[in-house]
Amino acid sequence: MPSSLSTLRVSIPRALCAAIALLFVLAHPAAAQLSFKPTAESVHEDQLLNALKEGDKITGRISIPDAMAASLIQPAGREWRDFQRSKLPVIGGVAIIGMFALLLIFLLVRGRIRIYHGFAGAKILRFASFERFTHWLTASCFIVLALSGLNISFGRILILPLFGPQAFATLSAYAKLAHNYLAFPFMLGLLIMFLIWIKDNIPGKLDLEWLRQGGGILFKGQHPPSRRFNAGQKGIFWIVILGGALMSVSGWFLLFPYLPGNVTTLQLWSVIHAVIAMLFIAVMLAHIYIGSIGMEGAFDAMGTGEVDLNWAKEHHSLWVEEEQAKGQAPSGNAPRAVPAE
Amino acid sequence: MKVFFAALLFAAIAAVGMSVLLNTIQQPSSVAFTTGGARVGDPGNNLVGPG
Repeated sequence: MPSSLSTLRVSIPRALCAAIALLFVLAHPAAAQLSFKPTAESVHEDQLLNALKEGDKITGRISIPDAMAASLIQPAGREWRDFQRSKLPVIGGVAIIGMFALLLIFLLVRGRIRIYHGFAGAKILRFASFERFTHWLTASCFIVLALSGLNISFGRILILPLFGPQAFATLSAYAKLAHNYLAFPFMLGLLIMFLIWIKDNIPGKLDLEWLRQGGGILFKGQHPPSRRFNAGQKGIFWIVILGGALMSVSGWFLLFPYLPGNVTTLQLWSVIHAVIAMLFIAVMLAHIYIGSIGMEGAFDAMGTGEVDLNWAKEHHSLWVEEEQAKGQAPSGNAPRAVPAE
Repeated sequence: MKVFFAALLFAAIAAVGMSVLLNTIQQPSSVAFTTGGARVGDPGNNLVGPG
């Protein structure tokens, strides 16, 4: 009897423990899926992470007023990290290097787009000082934002081996500061650009004709009529405004990470921010190309603000007529030079 | 070129101004999330940055 009593004394607590454990497992389906004890010392982090399914989280109880700090481990975080380290550099690399390659091919095949009738010598005001100020405010911020942002995706691969960890860490720290704070003048520039140029960027029937003729840049000497902005420029405008708005909203959540409310939403905005940024940079490369080496006379529009009359007539014939009718442009009898090619 | 440099100057001033403003109206996490029952340690430079 004593032996059976002692056996009973030992087995009752064991049975109770087993029952409680079973109850715990039944009450928590997620825990039931785990084939090991998450709290056991033998559990490795990899096992634990692999066992967690979509939407599962390991959370803790916290006493500080930061609810997000309660999330300890979640598979979505691992997927987000994998995206940042593997997929995003591929997306960015293809978009940016692909755009460079396309522009190089275009330059080699089409050559620089010249002013077909040569420089007239007479000038017409294309952009006023405030418009150019807004453009350069947004553009200069964009360049720093783009380079400092690319450093996050490509810096570890491209810059770290060149300059070493110390210099890379310092560079990245200052790049992060520049990225965070230049975002504000960039957003201001976007808002002003939207307000001052929206009236000239409403799509119309004329844009379809411009597009049908390939913008006149595919074939030499062909110049479809256009008002102040042609369909290509309108496309850039809307890409900048809509892309910039997405970048601003997503960037705002990254600047103030307690606004999204949870880590998963924050990660989603981070992915949106990064993907749009890569595409945005690729499109801006094309914009920079056509506004500088790609087209003769184009840079003057944002450089001095005045463009050659023949350039304006070739690319924005209807706008020139409107300006001449208002008396704000030289007459249509500007001297025409010999065709440049 | 004047307009270009004016834009650069404005961008720099706006960026510095925003950093001063945000540092004025925001509290460090170690202060914001500290309660009577829980103290949050100063994270320093958040593992990134000089010093």
